[in-house]
Amino acid sequence: MSDRITVEELTELMKKSAGVTVSPEELRQGYDTGFDAFGIDSLALLGIVGELENRYGTPMPVDAEKSKTPQQFLELVNSVLLTEA
Amino acid sequence: MSGHPRRAAITGIGVVAPNGTSTDTFWKSTKEGISVLDRITREGCGHLPLRVAGEVRDFDPPALVEERYLVQTDRFTHFAMAAADQALEDAGLGRSDTDAAPFAVGVVTAAGSGGGEFGQRELQQLWDKGSRFVGPYQSIAWFYAASTGQISIRRGFKGPCGVVAADEAGGLDAVAHAARAVRRGTDVLVAGATEAPLAPYSMVCQLGYEELSTVDDPGRAYRPFTAAACGFVPAEGGAMLVVESEAAARDRDAAVRATVAGHAATFTGASRWEESRQGLAQAVLGALAEADCAPEDIDVVFADALGTPEADRAEALAIVDALGAHGRRVPVTAPKTGTGRSYAAAPVLDVAAAVLALEHGLIPPTPNVFDACHDLDLVTSRARAAELRTALVLSRGLMGSNSALVLRRGAGDAS
Repeated sequence: MSDRITVEELTELMKKSAGVTVSPEELRQGYDTGFDAFGIDSLALLGIVGELENRYGTPMPVDAEKSKTPQQFLELVNSVLLTEA
Repeated sequence: MSGHPRRAAITGIGVVAPNGTSTDTFWKSTKEGISVLDRITREGCGHLPLRVAGEVRDFDPPALVEERYLVQTDRFTHFAMAAADQALEDAGLGRSDTDAAPFAVGVVTAAGSGGGEFGQRELQQLWDKGSRFVGPYQSIAWFYAASTGQISIRRGFKGPCGVVAADEAGGLDAVAHAARAVRRGTDVLVAGATEAPLAPYSMVCQLGYEELSTVDDPGRAYRPFTAAACGFVPAEGGAMLVVESEAAARDRDAAVRATVAGHAATFTGASRWEESRQGLAQAVLGALAEADCAPEDIDVVFADALGTPEADRAEALAIVDALGAHGRRVPVTAPKTGTGRSYAAAPVLDVAAAVLALEHGLIPPTPNVFDACHDLDLVTSRARAAELRTALVLSRGLMGSNSALVLRRGAGDAS
């Protein structure tokens, strides 16, 4: 299974993995601002990466959890998923 | 003025205890001598031989702690955050105050149990599904240091932080550590301990303690200093205090509820209760010396009250060893017999009760204890009114730590 991870899915994962509630609209507005502004730290991103790997059954790029912004993160993980497709 | 230019004052108290999740309800239950020990109702614990505990039932984490901390931290940290919020509010320190001087506020906690419930959940994921299903917050949520770190992150504090890992008596050591940080120059320390050891994994860990009471009658399970002493009953919850430079408190017109006058700690080995007599007496002498306090000045003793005949005898003898003849006359109480022993948090709840006792001139009783068999003036049945200026709080740990803390009432001894 391969598919593009959307902003909606990322907000759902942020809530599930880190307990951080951000609407897709807010995330789009802050697409290129830092995750830290949303209260997402490196452990939270690590949890999101783990959840994505379990969900899609494929390893995510090394350092995906070091992404600074939602844009950077989605481009990185989607590059893997689109290559797999 | 004494030789301590920066005396440490207690200006705020926050309590999340089995007998009350606010300081007011805690004190009301404590002074009335209400016992809330009861059969354990926590899910997954029904088959265990440990039957009675002090559960915190009146606590609604989502109402008190933000969602991210609910997801990322254990119940013991939820207790700590809620108690810290109460203590800061009680001290009149709002977010704008601490935001204006974040380096002036630190945190120190003690913990003996850690985040057992969180850890169990993640370990179950490990064994049911595999390592890829263990969340990354497992790396920090179970850890004894979690509450100190998360309180400072949540409130934006940047002052000196610490964690005391010293057994049950570590709760007193944390308060003393905070007082030392104040004397070294930090204005405010949020200090105390909370525990949440009533989950299946944590409870199994405790079953090996020979001092644990497995009696299933809540009224008979924890009766220290009696011939029927059969061990202690565990509990969850705890207390956080605001320990502050007395001068800083006065500058902002905050009420000084008590001062932390003296402390000492010793170590005599795990479950070596006979030896704890000497260790505890030595801790009392050290605390009295630091407080520049004569034995006769102690107006009330909050006992450790472990609840086995050997440990109780050692404590009763230690009190007399350290205080002399006064040790047989001074009122002794152990309100924790009504709530259970929340490990490192138990002596911090005793500090909270002692400050309230000093303020109200009222010694709370020792619930469920009616026929003490030691040469002590144990306060039982109902609270006793008394002029109280100085309190001594004692604590011992199952692993061998002994601590004593001397508290003085409000500003009464300022000169």
